[in-house]
Amino acid sequence: MRIIIAGCGEMGFHLSKLLAKEEHDIVIIDKDSDILSQTEILDVISIVGSATSYKVLEQANIKSSDLLIAVTESEETNMICCTIGKHLGVKKTIARISNSDFIHRKDAFDLSSVGIDEVIFPEALAAKEIRKLLKESAAITTFSFEGGVLEFIGIPIGKDSVLNGKSLKETNYLNPDQNFTPVAILRDEEDVVKNKTIIPRADDIFEASDHAYFVAQKDGGVDRVLALSGKKQHQIKDLMIYGGGPMAFVTAKHLSKKYKIKLIEEDRKRAEEIAAAIPNIMVLNGSGTDLEFLMKENLEYMDAFLSLTGETEKNILAALAAKETGIKKVIALVGNMEYIPLSQNMGVDTLINKKLIAADFISKHIKKGELEDLHSIYGLDADVIELNVNEKSKICNNTIKDVDFPKSAVIGGVIRNNRGVTVRGDFVFENNDKVVVMCLQDSRKSVQTLFK
Amino acid sequence: MKFNIKVIVNIVGILLIINGILMLTCLPFSFYNNESSWFEISLSSVINLIVGCILYVFTRTKTTTNLKKRDGYLIVTSSWFFLSLFGMLPYILSNQIPDFTNAFFESVSGYTTTGATILDDIDGTLDHGLMYWRSLTQYMGGMGIIVLAVAILPFLGIGGMQLFVAEAPGISPDKLRPRIKETAKRLWLIYLSFTIILFFILYGEGMTFFDAVNHSMTTMATGGFSTKNESIGYFDSPVIQYTIAFFMALSATNFTLIYFGLKFEFRKILQNEEFKFYLLFIIILTSIVFFTLYNIDNNNIEKTFRTALFNVVAILTTTGYASADYTSWSTFMTVLFFLLMFFGATAGSTSGGVKLIRHMILLKNSFVELKKQLHPSAIIPVRINNTVVTRDVILNIQAFIILYIFLFSIGTVLLSLTGVDFITAVGASGSAIGNVGPGIGDVGPSETYSSIPTTGKYILCVLMFLGRLELFTVLLILTPFFWRDH
Repeated sequence: MRIIIAGCGEMGFHLSKLLAKEEHDIVIIDKDSDILSQTEILDVISIVGSATSYKVLEQANIKSSDLLIAVTESEETNMICCTIGKHLGVKKTIARISNSDFIHRKDAFDLSSVGIDEVIFPEALAAKEIRKLLKESAAITTFSFEGGVLEFIGIPIGKDSVLNGKSLKETNYLNPDQNFTPVAILRDEEDVVKNKTIIPRADDIFEASDHAYFVAQKDGGVDRVLALSGKKQHQIKDLMIYGGGPMAFVTAKHLSKKYKIKLIEEDRKRAEEIAAAIPNIMVLNGSGTDLEFLMKENLEYMDAFLSLTGETEKNILAALAAKETGIKKVIALVGNMEYIPLSQNMGVDTLINKKLIAADFISKHIKKGELEDLHSIYGLDADVIELNVNEKSKICNNTIKDVDFPKSAVIGGVIRNNRGVTVRGDFVFENNDKVVVMCLQDSRKSVQTLFK
Repeated sequence: MKFNIKVIVNIVGILLIINGILMLTCLPFSFYNNESSWFEISLSSVINLIVGCILYVFTRTKTTTNLKKRDGYLIVTSSWFFLSLFGMLPYILSNQIPDFTNAFFESVSGYTTTGATILDDIDGTLDHGLMYWRSLTQYMGGMGIIVLAVAILPFLGIGGMQLFVAEAPGISPDKLRPRIKETAKRLWLIYLSFTIILFFILYGEGMTFFDAVNHSMTTMATGGFSTKNESIGYFDSPVIQYTIAFFMALSATNFTLIYFGLKFEFRKILQNEEFKFYLLFIIILTSIVFFTLYNIDNNNIEKTFRTALFNVVAILTTTGYASADYTSWSTFMTVLFFLLMFFGATAGSTSGGVKLIRHMILLKNSFVELKKQLHPSAIIPVRINNTVVTRDVILNIQAFIILYIFLFSIGTVLLSLTGVDFITAVGASGSAIGNVGPGIGDVGPSETYSSIPTTGKYILCVLMFLGRLELFTVLLILTPFFWRDH
């Protein structure tokens, strides 16, 4: 696929890195040649120039490109870039926006009429994810397949967890209805910067401070997995949000109806703007790293603390401080992905990364109609892929035992007729099944061949 | 400080011409009733026209000059003063209110839609022509004669907004249309149409032609001048009283909302917090008065309810009609109705007083201040109709209310110096600044202002002007920096 990416900001850079790895041809455009120079380490073409310039877009060979992704900082530039790109002949366009009206008021303005096929609003996607994490507060990661018939959940293994010190085989009795499957373990190794990802086999043993990942059926499975962590699932009502940037703003707005929110913003003017824009929340003017101030505002009575400023370091520090006071659910926005394992080891277990969420969203669109959907999980070295079984697939009408299924991959579940099931070794795959597979990167190719 | 003296004099001239022309509409009533005062009315009209023309012609300029904010305030205040001055000519010349003070008081009370009168016997003192003129002054003052001028005079277009702001009641005038001239036109059109509708209803319900004309005008203006000594109490007909109560309440509703209602945009009306509060307020007050009254004399339920509703609406909307004497019911009722004078109805209507929206915003702000005691660094905006009220507006309203109370107090003190008793002084002062009409004590609904000494009447005139032009317009002119600064 030939993909043009306009804007080499955080998101543009991450996308080009990710998509180049997946063997797409990438052209990246940015006005600033200094910023663009960081793409030298990637196998991409870079063009210095305006994303709304015909000349630049033509130079990027827009006519024969399949996809234009406009992710500059400016919403207006992104939209105009897509409109021009579409007219110049690109097949599909995706524009990053920062205004939810474009999503909620599709009746008023059909974006496709101006050449914008798809919009991406990373802040809203992240806010949605935060909402889910708060709902299932014991989970550290969660997302759903096919509108929720199967769920992917990560939980931290606490000292009191029934899984602690047990092998997978030994814990079989905990899964009497067989409505969930363990698919991965993330372990804190000596190497502090990188955690180890394990695809669990029967004899692998769970340890305290592991993160365990499961695929579970919607009914019953999810609750059972959450119970395994040894942490009580508690009802979340009072939230404290630190930050007043776009991410915090969208999240606060998104959650304001369901939770009691205190939002902390350092800049007085911005705080006033937020207070004016979102009713039903309390906006406080102060610093989220000033613990004394937070205590005055009853930090210890909060059910959750969301650290969502634009600065990763601040977020992690504030989250750690909040964790110290005994808040059960702490979520931090992390921009720098190198920090993810580090902060996980320090105790901030739930992290949100806009880039990953957006990349996940975009790669879904790239893959749509093709073979698979792919999800990357923070910190995990493995990917979750959704694969479709067709008549020609090797796996069709066979069980896992019949085919040579790689050891570093595991089948999490199968969606058949819009119902999610978790499977055992004797499960026979049929045509049109959708299979959720967790696999380390080295075995991805061999898994994919089974479904071709 | 340089003012656009020419333009200011010019506009005052025009307004006097309009005043003179409108005065001529009294003549049919004079001729129909064979009254000799037609001559004095015509003479007054001619004086208005001549003075107006002189002022107009000698200050006419070809170049259109832009009005400054300062000019706007000066034009509005001086216009209202000169209109009242020239509007009293018929009373004096016809010798029906021969005393200068009384005539001026009656005129000011008319234009400011207060409805306070010095006439102990209205029917017996004024003939039809003059009674009509008295109602007409209220009608002009209700929507504002300057708004009328902005609507009909082509050349006022540019400076119109300054004049409009200075005259229109409320916090900030909502523009119905992008052009102020069009807004003014629509306001007057709504005003006029409702008056005509009300006239036909009242006429159909059995009022005489003359009474229907007068009462429809003074109801829509929330003025309160009646042709009868007993005010609306004279018309002992439930339908008439309910009709008038309804139209009083309607005239005291924000005209912007009425405009939306006429365009079938009902959602905007239901979203308006002030309007909802206004309705709720009427319901609650009516119930309180109804139950108290029912406890006192155990009368006919319908009649008690009607009396409660009518008087609550009459005072709350600052119309000042009366169908009974609320000061005769009980001390509690007297206190209640006295306090009502300080509320007023909704902004952007023809009613006077403080207006509910100011009370609502200040009350909400007080709650915010309470909350801030617990959360000192919290930023809690005050919202009305889902929009945030800016700090500036809150401070402005605070200043308004402080000044309002201050001026009311000064008025009371000065009145007491003229020799009236305490209750009367308090009632007259509150009633005058709120443009209500009846007060308590010697100026209660069944009394008149004739007993107030001469000096006291002038004090009340000043309070009425201040109230009608919402304090700031008049007060500004009395400040030194208005004249000095650049």
